[in-house]
Amino acid sequence: MISGSHLTRRFGDRTAVDDVSFEVRRSEIVALLGPNGAGKTTIIRMLAGLIAPTSGSVVIDGVLLTHATGPALRRKIGFLPEAAGLWDRLTVRENLTVYADLYGLGRTDGIVDRLVQLFELTPHQAVRAAELSKGMRQKVALARALLHDPRILVLDEPTSGLDPEIARAVRQLFEERRGQGCAILVSTHNLDEAERLADRVAVLHKRLIAIDTPASLRRKLTRGRIVVRVAGGAAACLDAVRRFDRAAAADGQVLTLSLPEPERDTPALVRAVVEVGAEILEVRAETAPMEDVYLHLLAARSDDEARP
Amino acid sequence: MISAPLAALLRKELLDLSRNRGALLPVAIVALVALLLPFGVTIAIPAMTGQHLGDDSDLLRVSAALGTHDGLSADGRVQLFLFQQFLMLFLLTPITGAMALAAHSVVGEKQARTLEPLLATPIGTIELLVAKVLGSLIPTLAIAMTGLVLHFVGLALLAEPGVLRAMVTPRTALLVFLVSPAAALLSLQSAIVVSSRVNDARTAQQFGVLLIIPLTAVLVAQFAGMLWLSARALALVGLGILAVWAVLTVVSAALFQRDAILTNWR
Repeated sequence: MISGSHLTRRFGDRTAVDDVSFEVRRSEIVALLGPNGAGKTTIIRMLAGLIAPTSGSVVIDGVLLTHATGPALRRKIGFLPEAAGLWDRLTVRENLTVYADLYGLGRTDGIVDRLVQLFELTPHQAVRAAELSKGMRQKVALARALLHDPRILVLDEPTSGLDPEIARAVRQLFEERRGQGCAILVSTHNLDEAERLADRVAVLHKRLIAIDTPASLRRKLTRGRIVVRVAGGAAACLDAVRRFDRAAAADGQVLTLSLPEPERDTPALVRAVVEVGAEILEVRAETAPMEDVYLHLLAARSDDEARP
Repeated sequence: MISAPLAALLRKELLDLSRNRGALLPVAIVALVALLLPFGVTIAIPAMTGQHLGDDSDLLRVSAALGTHDGLSADGRVQLFLFQQFLMLFLLTPITGAMALAAHSVVGEKQARTLEPLLATPIGTIELLVAKVLGSLIPTLAIAMTGLVLHFVGLALLAEPGVLRAMVTPRTALLVFLVSPAAALLSLQSAIVVSSRVNDARTAQQFGVLLIIPLTAVLVAQFAGMLWLSARALALVGLGILAVWAVLTVVSAALFQRDAILTNWR
């Protein structure tokens, strides 16, 4: 539904984004992860048609984004910038109404009313934006991004500044939109959110380091890592399992080791543990927290860069 | 003729300005000074000093540029000349106050971080720029026209008999309804160009002040008797200014680089 192909963006001598390609498909949420300065906002701006890539292209709904197609394509995108960007002297309702008019939406279909209700802004609709809390401003900005019922959402840190209850409601809203066929790109620093919300996670550090489902990314990091929990001390099983992995470790009731072919070797491992008289309580593949996966990917990228 | 995005942004500009009346205060003050000044010079000072304007041979000589006005006294002829000259000042000076509004309009949006979501909408660059110009122009003209009504009421009450009637001419109408709005459009459009090319509001205002220089030059030349434009000449000037404005609008759209504005400004 929206794709970037070989996107590169330079600012003078500095390369902010280098040859990044990915797409967000219909009914899909992709989370864009990366440290500060990784180029997330630049990518978001390129995909939203706000800035042009130095090289590469953006295709939205099968149409190449150009200067000429920009206005029509921007109509298909709901965009949330990093800052809410509300007009401070206008009320919540006025901010939304002006944007509804900018999109040429009729006043009679009650779209502003619906979004005011959806985001529970009714008590605040006559309040000037300058008087709103950061979370409330973010809610208004999100409502603004959804006004024209876009099929593509490009959102820069949408839950930033929201309290957990509202952030959860916003995530549910995104899931509903995904269910309705929307393609959603979310930039976030919140790894937990990325994992819970996104169908795929893209890790960016100027270049695209990885893009996959959270589960696949985790598997890549912990490939073959098996955890066996036994009754009693796990140390008694160490000799038996070291034929599978010489680096196997025991910690209390837990044995941790790597298997070259987990699907093939796990039954033999279980038999070996049972044969030494241990009672197995649990056998599972080790899962790394998303934070570990993310940091590992960034570290691997740094190692690659440092290599001559 | 006015597209939905242009009308929407213009409505926002006027709403925003109505909540920020302090921003219009300089425009109102300048208009008030320009309103009082001609009456001070032509009515109050002669009354205080006891000297008649018609006794000044230089004033009588330059006021001959208006042609003959048989029904007017010598004082009346000089008053008519001065009021005609001040009319230009009166109509153009509110623009100087509005320059600050226009100069701040784009850079102000950028600094308030409201420009990015706005540029993400389908609004075109020319629509955006025209809305910004009209957002400064409409309140400025409203203030100028209110002042104009007061100006003519003052003429009816204080000027020599026949001066008010002699002021109502095609030349005055051209000044009020063509030259003044056209000059305002051109000046404010120039300020918008400045606003979209500089990095902060203070720089925009400094450059905005520079744009007042041509207006001042016109006024000085007029008072020195070096410039007297007939109705026909004024009509041509007005249309010429509108043509330049149209060209400048297209040029300013080309100079308005969304990409650079979003990425280079801090």
